[in-house]
Amino acid sequence: MDYFGLMPEDCLSEILSFTSPEDTARLSTSSRGFNSAAESDVVWEKFLPSDYQNIISKSKSLLASPSMKQLYFSLCDSPILTDGGKMSFSLDKKTGKKCFMVSARELTISWSDTPHYWAWSSHPDSRFSEVANLRFVCWLDMRGKIETRLLSKRTNYVVYLVFKLKSGYYGLETANTFVRFVDLESDNEAEERASVVSISRQEGPGENRSKGRDDEWMEIEMGKFFNDAGEDGDVEARLMEVRRLSAKGGLIVQGIEFRPE
Amino acid sequence: MSSSTKFLTLKTCDDKKFVLDEAIAVRSQTIKNMVEDDCVSNVIPLPNVNSKTMTKVIEYWKKHSEEGVSKDVLMDFDKAFVKVHHSILHALILAANFLNDKEILDMMCQEVADRIKGKTPEEIRKEFDIKNDFTPEEEEEIRKENAWAFE
Repeated sequence: MDYFGLMPEDCLSEILSFTSPEDTARLSTSSRGFNSAAESDVVWEKFLPSDYQNIISKSKSLLASPSMKQLYFSLCDSPILTDGGKMSFSLDKKTGKKCFMVSARELTISWSDTPHYWAWSSHPDSRFSEVANLRFVCWLDMRGKIETRLLSKRTNYVVYLVFKLKSGYYGLETANTFVRFVDLESDNEAEERASVVSISRQEGPGENRSKGRDDEWMEIEMGKFFNDAGEDGDVEARLMEVRRLSAKGGLIVQGIEFRPE
Repeated sequence: MSSSTKFLTLKTCDDKKFVLDEAIAVRSQTIKNMVEDDCVSNVIPLPNVNSKTMTKVIEYWKKHSEEGVSKDVLMDFDKAFVKVHHSILHALILAANFLNDKEILDMMCQEVADRIKGKTPEEIRKEFDIKNDFTPEEEEEIRKENAWAFE
């Protein structure tokens, strides 16, 4: 017997709200009843982070979404700028968990205040008003952090450097990256377990390599961490090449992204 | 039992009567509203609930109203409570919805959701006997719209 077929639509919506966005989308293709129940605000409001109103209120982006479902997908597909354009916020479509990108301006980048080494400019593909252009350095060192309380709880996060390469880039074959909880581990301790990545080499076997993104940018994994209850203070990701001091140039940095695995 | 204990009689759709302590019965918001609005005569009819389902509901209410029962015991009880056939789960959801008991409703919906999670629409249709009532065109359209969930 088709028990679901006999159920009022609000009960179906109630059930869907206990699944995940991915499961709801799949189920909506199983019958008209589920498809209709999967439109409900009850379902999508539950999939939005519990503090979504607070996050949206920190944004100047206009979100005229008539339904919770539309709001959900708008936040997945079009990141909004928050905190005066210092960060962007979006949702992971399959889980509804929170993604943040910290803009290049909010990163700590060695020599970034010396125009000879790093130049700041706008970029047509960037969500932020400015990107950092590496002209020339020997000492490459950048780091970005975020408060764990902002992130989704009990979630594995991966941190990425989001960048582009200019034609004629050089010296970006290797770098060390690591992620640490600032209050729990020192820089030196964390550096000992750093992984070696290659910014300039794309997908292939072996070491960590950069990958293309859907938004015309590239990304390289800087490390992972588990955000338990959001009570671990700041989490920081760092990328550095300060051992091989040959010249490096041709890198455009949009920011550092904290994204659920 | 204290002399102030009041009893309510609930009558299910199959004409079975259940006599229950009012303090327990008002776990149902629907019954509570009726009691508060003073529109309870002798018997409260429950036209949407059968006796088999009501027996389960009352079993839950009584367990969760026991004094001094530990959290662990309740957790084990709940775990066993939801381990039932789909047909009973569905009846309990409908009953909890009618009785407006958010606790039971949430627990049952969570259980159904757990049985659904991670399955394909074909597997779910088969397991829950769901009738695919889309036209082929509609189904294709909806599949396209939700293609991201199948990647």
